[in-house]
Amino acid sequence: MSPMTYHRPTTLGQAKELSQTLENAVFMSGGHTLLPAMKQDLATPDHVIDLSHIGELEAIRVDSNDLIIGAMSTHVQVATSKIVQELIPALAGLAGSIGDRQVRQRGTIGGSVANNDPAADYPSAVLGLGGTIITNLREIRADDFFVGLFETALEPFEIIIAIRFPTPLSAGYAKFKSPAARYPQAGVFIARFEGSVRVAVTGAGQSGVYRLVQLEKTLLESFVDGAAANLEISTENLIEDMYATKDYRANLVRMMTSHALKHMGTISIFK
Amino acid sequence: MSMVGLEVNGRLVSKDVPDNMLLAEFLRDSLGLTGTHVGCDTTQCGCCIVLVDGVSVKSCTVLVANAKDSRVVTVEGLSDGVHLHPIQEAFIEHHALQCGFCTPGMMMSAVDLINRHARVLTPEEVRSEMEGNLCRCTGYHNIVKAIVAASEKMHAR
Amino acid sequence: MNDISHGLQLEPRPADLIDGVTLKAVGQPLARKEDLRLVTGQGRFTDDFNLPNQSWAWMVRSPYPHARILQIDKEPVSAMPGVLGVFTGQDCLADGLNAIDHSPVPSTKFDVRLRGPSDTPVFLGRHFLLPTDKARHVGEAVAMVVAKTREQARQAAQALLVDYEELPWVADTQKAAASDAPLVWEDLPNNMLVDSSFGDEQATHAAFEKAAHVVSMKTHINRVTGVPLEPRAALGNFDSTTQSYSLYAGSGGAVRQKKELAQVLGIDPEKVRVLSYDVGGNFGTRNRVFVEFGLVMWASKKIGLPVKYRADRTEAFLTDYQGRDLVTEVSLAIDANGKFLAMRANNLSNVGFCCVSLSPLSKGSGLVTGSYDIPLLLLRSRAVFSNTMATQAYRSSGRPEVTFAIERLIDKAARQIGIDRLDLRRKNLVKPSQMPYTNAIGSTYDSGEYEINMDKALLLADWQGVEKRRAQAKARGKLLGVGFANYVESSIGFPKERVDLIVREKHIEVVIGTQPAGQGHETSFSQVTADLLEVSFEQVFITMGDTDIVSAGGGTHSGRSLRHASTALAYAAIDLKVRAKNILAAVLGVLVDEIEFERGLFVHGPSKTQVDWFELLRLAQRSELPADLQGGIQVRRDNEMHTPVFPNGTCICEIEIDPQTGALAILNYATVDDVGRCINPMIVHGQTHGGIAQGVGQALWEQCFIDASSGQPLSCSFMDYAMPRFDNLPSFKTEIAQVLSPTNPFGIKAGGEGGTTPALAVIASAVEDALMPICGPIEIPMPITPVKIWTALDAARKNKEVLL
Repeated sequence: MSPMTYHRPTTLGQAKELSQTLENAVFMSGGHTLLPAMKQDLATPDHVIDLSHIGELEAIRVDSNDLIIGAMSTHVQVATSKIVQELIPALAGLAGSIGDRQVRQRGTIGGSVANNDPAADYPSAVLGLGGTIITNLREIRADDFFVGLFETALEPFEIIIAIRFPTPLSAGYAKFKSPAARYPQAGVFIARFEGSVRVAVTGAGQSGVYRLVQLEKTLLESFVDGAAANLEISTENLIEDMYATKDYRANLVRMMTSHALKHMGTISIFK
Repeated sequence: MSMVGLEVNGRLVSKDVPDNMLLAEFLRDSLGLTGTHVGCDTTQCGCCIVLVDGVSVKSCTVLVANAKDSRVVTVEGLSDGVHLHPIQEAFIEHHALQCGFCTPGMMMSAVDLINRHARVLTPEEVRSEMEGNLCRCTGYHNIVKAIVAASEKMHAR
Repeated sequence: MNDISHGLQLEPRPADLIDGVTLKAVGQPLARKEDLRLVTGQGRFTDDFNLPNQSWAWMVRSPYPHARILQIDKEPVSAMPGVLGVFTGQDCLADGLNAIDHSPVPSTKFDVRLRGPSDTPVFLGRHFLLPTDKARHVGEAVAMVVAKTREQARQAAQALLVDYEELPWVADTQKAAASDAPLVWEDLPNNMLVDSSFGDEQATHAAFEKAAHVVSMKTHINRVTGVPLEPRAALGNFDSTTQSYSLYAGSGGAVRQKKELAQVLGIDPEKVRVLSYDVGGNFGTRNRVFVEFGLVMWASKKIGLPVKYRADRTEAFLTDYQGRDLVTEVSLAIDANGKFLAMRANNLSNVGFCCVSLSPLSKGSGLVTGSYDIPLLLLRSRAVFSNTMATQAYRSSGRPEVTFAIERLIDKAARQIGIDRLDLRRKNLVKPSQMPYTNAIGSTYDSGEYEINMDKALLLADWQGVEKRRAQAKARGKLLGVGFANYVESSIGFPKERVDLIVREKHIEVVIGTQPAGQGHETSFSQVTADLLEVSFEQVFITMGDTDIVSAGGGTHSGRSLRHASTALAYAAIDLKVRAKNILAAVLGVLVDEIEFERGLFVHGPSKTQVDWFELLRLAQRSELPADLQGGIQVRRDNEMHTPVFPNGTCICEIEIDPQTGALAILNYATVDDVGRCINPMIVHGQTHGGIAQGVGQALWEQCFIDASSGQPLSCSFMDYAMPRFDNLPSFKTEIAQVLSPTNPFGIKAGGEGGTTPALAVIASAVEDALMPICGPIEIPMPITPVKIWTALDAARKNKEVLL
C-alpha cells in the first residue's frame, strides 16, 4: 500500500474541514472497500479521513414512522438492532447476510451506499424501500441517488449522515450468492406500502441497482406471489461473467423475485 | 508516521508507525507476533483474524491507526500461559488442523462465534457462521466438530 | 555426523522385518505432536523468519501471454528511493546462472516411459530464473527489483518499463496441439513434447472389431491450482566469509531444493543450506523449485544483504505451479455378457510454458484401466506446451483424470447395454485372487479387495434408501442424484530415503528427509519408531527440514513418505539394536550373544543387568570402548524401494439440485479407502477429508479460467476462484480398510490422495443421475457450477440442443 496520512476527526465539522483543506483525500468508514482497493493500487489517496469515530453518525432511531440509520452503523449493528428487527425485519436480515461475520463488524451502511458496488446488498434495500440519503448538504431520494456503476449523486466530499427509511407494510429480500465472491448474483428487495409497491434488483445489472417497474404495477393491482412466475426479464443490460450467462442471470432475477414475494417479512439466501 | 498505542494480549504497547500500516503487519513485523498470518489480498481467507475489543476482525483490512486505544487479542494471547484455551484443546483433540496456517485465524473467529451465543452451537450454525474462514487441508469436517465441542466446554463453565 | 554405521538396503523384505515388534502406538489415533506449537502461534512458516538488514524483492511480471522482451530500462528505477538493484535475464546470463533442472520425466523403475515424438528424448524447454528472449505466459517474471522495504520494491517494480513485442499465443490445450499453433519454443517444430504409444495395437483393434458393444467419450478435465493458504516465500542470504548460501523456503523437500538451486548457481551443494520448517499446505504445488528461490539467493550475493520475497495471493494464483488440464478420449469394447475386452485411450496433457513435471501424464497413463480387468489397451500419451503457467503434480497427480475417464465410461456403458452400473463393475473388477495383478500397461497392483470396498461403501452410504430419498426430494421440488466410483491409484515417488536414528540423553531423535505440510509426520513417524524401539511415543522426536542436519531424503510427494520412512526405520531399528547390544557387551566384557532386547530393555541375564536406551547411552559415555563403538548409539540407514503400491477404494455421493436455480447441495459423501496399514487413523481420516474437498472443489467450483480472446487468466483472487468452504461441503462418512501391502514391512500403501482420486468421477456421476429424468444422459464440463446445471435443464425443457 502506498504511503498516506491517516486522520481521525471526531465531529462532522472537523471531517468537512479536513476534506476541504487536504489534497487527494478520501473518506473511509469501515475500510472494507477502501483498504482492499488501496492494497491493489485501485485507490491511491494521500490522505484518509476516517469517519467511523464521529458519534453523530452512529445511532439507529425512529422518527414518526421512519427508521433513521446513522451512516456509520455497522452491518452487525443494523442486523442486531431491536428497532430495525421490529420495523423492517427484511432490512435487518439483509444487513446480517452481507459478506461474512468479520466484514459485518466493520462494514457500514454509509460506506456501502456511497460506494454503490453493483453487487452489494444494501442498494437494493435503499432503492426498494424508497429511502432518503441524508447528507451534510441536502437530502437525496433513492431514485435520484444511484446514478450508475460505482457512481452516486454525491458531490465530492459530501458526507452521508444517515439514511431514512419509511416503514413498509411488509418487505422481503431474496438473493443467490455467487460461488466465489459470495456477493449476490441477483438480490431482490420488495417493499409494500399503502398505495405503492417497489421492487429493486442488485447484483444483476451492468449499471447497478434498478427497479422492476412493470412488476411493481402488477403487484400494486394484485399482490400475489405467483406474479413473478412468468416474469419477463430483459437480458439486455445484465452482467455476464464466468458464473452467469445473461439468460441465467435473468432466471435468477425471476426466481429471487418469486422467493421474496413468497416470504415477505424475512430474507431468503440461496447458493 | 504516528504514535499508536494499544493493548495487545494484555500488554500496553506504543510504537511510532507509518499511517498505512495494517494491523496484521503491526502484529507480525513490529511486535514479532507471527502467529497471525496473511493468506490473501482480498479480505476473504480469514487467516489474519484477531479479536479487537472482543469481536473478530480481519487484521489485514484494519489500519493499526484505527486500532488505537483498542484491546487486541491474538492467538498468542489465547492461553493463560499455563492452560490452553478450550478452543486450542478442542482443535488438538479433534485434529482440526493439519498444516496450521489457517488455524490461528480459525480459532480467533471461533472464539468470537462461541462468545456471541449463550448456548452450545449446532454444526449447521458453525458452517454458516464460519463462512469468512478458508481451510485447504481439512475439508472443514474436524473443525466443525472442534468448534461445537469447544462451545460445549465453554458454556458448561 | 560421521559414518558410524551406514547401511544400504536395495531390496525390501516383507513383513518378517517387524517380526516380534508389538504394535502399541501404531494404529492409534494419537493427538499430534505438531499441534501445540501451531495452536499457540509458535509455528515457523517461511515469512516468520527475518534476518538483520534484510532487503525485499519484488518481481516484474509479463502482462502478455507471449511476448518478446525487447528492452528493459533499468536506470530510472535504479534511482528510486531505497532501490538496491534491478536484475534482468541478461544479468542472470552474464553471471552464468543455469536453467533449473526439474527432472520432469518420471524415471523410477516402474514409471511409464514417456518419450518425445518418434521416440526422441523429451524436449523440456529451459526454465531460467529470468528469461532473456521471451515471456511465455502471463505472470512470468522478467525482472526483479530489490529495495530496502517491500513497499519500495513494489513501487519500483511497478515503475519499471519493459518494452515487449506481443506475439501470437495459444492457451487452449487442443489448440496448442494443432499444427498451426504458435510455437512456445522455437526449437520444437510443434508444441508436442511427448508422444508415446503403448499396448498391442493389432490385438486391441481386433477386440474392438468383434465387440458386441463399444462406448466412447471425450472430455477436457479442467485446470485448477492448489491454493495452499500460505503464499510461497523465500529468504536468501549469502555469507561472504564462508562463501555459502542459506535459504529459508517452505517446499516439498529441502534436500532436492538444495541440489537443484546449487546446480542453478553453479556451486557445490555443500555450500547451500536450505531450511524448510512449517509449510502451510503443499498438495504438490511446492514440489518444484520456484524462480524466486534462486533469485533471492543470487541477489543476496550481488547486493551483500539478505533478500526476502513473499508472494501475494494474486501472484500465487498466477504463478504457483498449476494442476490437471487433460483432454482425454477413451473407448471401451465390451462383449455380449458385459465383460470388458479392450480399451483405447488418447490423453493430451497441457504442461504449460515449460516442462516442470510429466508426473500427471505418466502416473495417469499407468492407471487408465482403473480397478478393472481389461486385458488389452492401446494408449497414446501426449504432452503439449502452451502459453500458460506450468503444470505440476497436484494432489493425486494424473489419477483423478483417468479415474474420471474409466468410471464415467462405465456409467455410459451400463446405460447403453442396459446393465445396472454396479453389476457391470462387479463383473469386471480385478479380483483378490488375481493379486498381484499386472494391468494392460504393466502396472502391477500389489493388493486390494475391491468388491469388499464396494459392499462396505454401499452400506455406509445407505444405497438401499436412495430411491425413497429421491422420491422425497422430488416432492420438495428437488432433483436427487447419487454418484458411484471405484478407484485405484498409485504411490511411487522418489525411491530412496535416509534415516538417522540417534539415542539422545532423554529421547530418541529421528532425522529424515521427508517434508510434511500438514500430514503429521512428527506424529506418525514417532508412532512407528516408538514401537520399533519399545520406547514411549512421547520419547521420540523427528527432525526434518534443515539440510545442514538432513543430509539426504526424497521429500514428500506421491504418498511416499510413511511407506519409505517406516521401512528405513525398520532397518535402522534393527541396526540400532545390534549396535546397542555390541556396546553393552563391550561395557560388560561379555559376548554379544548373551544380550537380549525385550520390553525396551537390554538385558544380560547372568549379570542381572537391565538398561534402557538412555541408561545404556550414559553407560557408554562413561566407558572405554573400542574405536568402532565410540560416538554414541546412533545409526544411519539408506533404503531404496522402487516397487509402487496401489491404494484403492470406493466412493458414493448423494446430491440435490434445485432445478429453479441450478444450485447443488451435497447431502452425503461416503468413502472406503484401503490405505494398507493405517498408522494413525485420525490423521488418515483427516487426509481423506482434505483430499475429498480438493476433488469436489475441482468438480463443482474451481477453475483457472483464461479469457479466450486475450489469453488473460481471469481467476486470480478469491473473488473469482471459487473454493470449498464451510457451508458448501457436508460432513463425510469415511471408512478405512487395511489390506496390507506385501511390498514393505509395515504393509503401508498411502492415505494422502485417495480422497481426491474418485471425487471428480463421483460428482459427475451424481449430477448425471440427478438430471437424467429431464436431460437424459449428460456430461457437464467441470466445474459443474449452477449456471451450467440450469442451462442444461433449461435447454432440455425447451428441447433445444445443449450449448455449454
